[in-house]
Amino acid sequence: MKRRVAALFLAIAMVAGMLAGCGSSQTSATAASQAEGTTQAATQAETQAPDKTYKVAMILDSSIADGGWGAACYNAMVAAAAETGFETQYTDGLATADFASSIRSYCDLGFDLIFAPGNQYSDAVKEVAADYPDVDFALLNGVVETENITSLLPDAEQIGYMAGALAGLMSKTNSIGFIGGLELDTTKMKLAKYEEAAKAVNPDITVYSAYAGSFSDTAKGMEIAESMISLNDVDVMFGDASAVDSGAREVLANYEDKYDIGQPGDLLATQESTVIIGSVVTDNARMLKICMEEVMSGEFGNKTIYGNLENGSLSVGTFSDAVPEDIKAQYLEIVEQIKEGTFIQ
Amino acid sequence: MTTIWNATFISELLLSMIRMATPILIVAIAELYSEKAGLVNIGLDGIMAFGSLVGFLVSYITGNPYLGLFAGAFGGIAINMVYAVCTIQLGAEQIVYGMAINIFAPAIASFIYKIYFGISSSLISAQLMKPLPIPVLSHIPYVGDVLFNHTPIVYLAYLLVPLTYVFFNKTRAGLNYTAVGEYPKAAESLGINVIRTKYIASIICGFLAGLGGAYLTTCYISTYSDGVVSGRGFIALSAVIFGRWAPGGVLLAALLFGFTDALQLRLQVLNSGMPYQLLAMIPYLCTLFVLAFFGIKKAGPKANGKPYFKEER
Repeated sequence: MKRRVAALFLAIAMVAGMLAGCGSSQTSATAASQAEGTTQAATQAETQAPDKTYKVAMILDSSIADGGWGAACYNAMVAAAAETGFETQYTDGLATADFASSIRSYCDLGFDLIFAPGNQYSDAVKEVAADYPDVDFALLNGVVETENITSLLPDAEQIGYMAGALAGLMSKTNSIGFIGGLELDTTKMKLAKYEEAAKAVNPDITVYSAYAGSFSDTAKGMEIAESMISLNDVDVMFGDASAVDSGAREVLANYEDKYDIGQPGDLLATQESTVIIGSVVTDNARMLKICMEEVMSGEFGNKTIYGNLENGSLSVGTFSDAVPEDIKAQYLEIVEQIKEGTFIQ
Repeated sequence: MTTIWNATFISELLLSMIRMATPILIVAIAELYSEKAGLVNIGLDGIMAFGSLVGFLVSYITGNPYLGLFAGAFGGIAINMVYAVCTIQLGAEQIVYGMAINIFAPAIASFIYKIYFGISSSLISAQLMKPLPIPVLSHIPYVGDVLFNHTPIVYLAYLLVPLTYVFFNKTRAGLNYTAVGEYPKAAESLGINVIRTKYIASIICGFLAGLGGAYLTTCYISTYSDGVVSGRGFIALSAVIFGRWAPGGVLLAALLFGFTDALQLRLQVLNSGMPYQLLAMIPYLCTLFVLAFFGIKKAGPKANGKPYFKEER
């Protein structure tokens, strides 16, 4: 009997510990956003009814500190929220099975907007959105449009062209690589256009690609990069796989004259790297801001907000010193052509 | 294609195999020590996650990856003590508590990371352990680089295999230890302290599993992000069953996983058009085939997974 009681006590202690863990991580997140939010709340009070604080939550399968996709999306949400006065919250490191339940708990907590930063969340978002008509959902890279789902769609074709053109211009070995996380529609599109663009600027280019089957297995990214370099002498890489790309960059850094192209944030603006030569920047903050404004005005839903070079949601990031001036000029010219739609017809 | 299958390709492939198999091997041996004492610990993934965080943090703060590695191992022990107390002292269901560790430990790791580094989106990297080539041996063409140019922990991992074999089969202590997993009551009647042996098993298991996790962030990759373990704990768990609870078998299983995984990545790179899912299945298909081909002739320890109550009849 004594033993049972002790077992029960321990179990309760463990659960309590876990809850306390989750609880305090949430409070620290809100505390941080509140600290940022105080000034916005003050300015917002002048323009809007002060009784309602809007809240946005983001879910993520990798980590917000993955040095790539997750980081850029999180920063975009925080930046957009700072402008619109939203409170922010996030959960990262989620397994696929937990997407829907995590979104559901945010809906139950009274969040106004759920930000799902990737095509892989489509099903979970669709499932939950049907049950919570009062909550709005922003789906990045999505193709869903309903009463309460708006898709944000950065132009994967243009992203692929931009990365491919730079890789093609920079490659000296005529071999370039691509790492995918999962075989998503957007990833396939980026890969196809990456190859087309690289071949357009340099017909001798061969593209090698591999999928890690994960967005968080950094070690696998290392192995892929290592095998591409040893097998095919790949010297420029581009990836669509969050933390996996960071692993690839780690290997590239061990060699000379091996480069990587970053996305979706301007990576060189936030970190030092000898490997990254430039970034294809997606301004998710701009698209999210539109979403937030629509949530506040009640016009949300039934649309896709496109992100492309024309409306400024896509842009060229900071270049590293490894890119010679003439290649830079040539590249910017190509980007101009992509923008006008005259690059590849 | 024929030009690809040259010596460099093979040696690169084997090198990659060793790198990918090492964490699985260390953690599978951890599980072996646990199961030999009758404790099925499916919480390996969680222990690894915690070990990888502690290893990374300590190596980041002190700048010394060796310290990080040890800290990660002790972090593993700390987490595994939760499992040990619940299953040994209180006789709780082992699978349930193993699963609890899998949920609890990665969450606490991610929590500590966020407390220390704040809510930040920048990627922080720590010092990696330098490889320590073994003099003379590492200069043997082809073989030298594959076998003798690694971080010390890799040698230790492979050294553990014969040591474990000798311990379980040739020493009195090892046979007593095995008896605890086979028939604890008989062991107790012969004067073996079953409870103490099980605790020792948990300490060894926690130490090695934490070490395996810390290996990822101190010797393999220089950054920590949530999900860095990526199910390696579960693969280690299956490597023990696959290896029939024998150190040599576990080594083969870990190497097979490492080899097929390294091979499938290279096949993907070589055949960019082929659906990657097919190739990514190779490690698991191989396991299925080997298991089906050899059959399960020898089962694990007889009292595996059963709680032990001293006074119970």
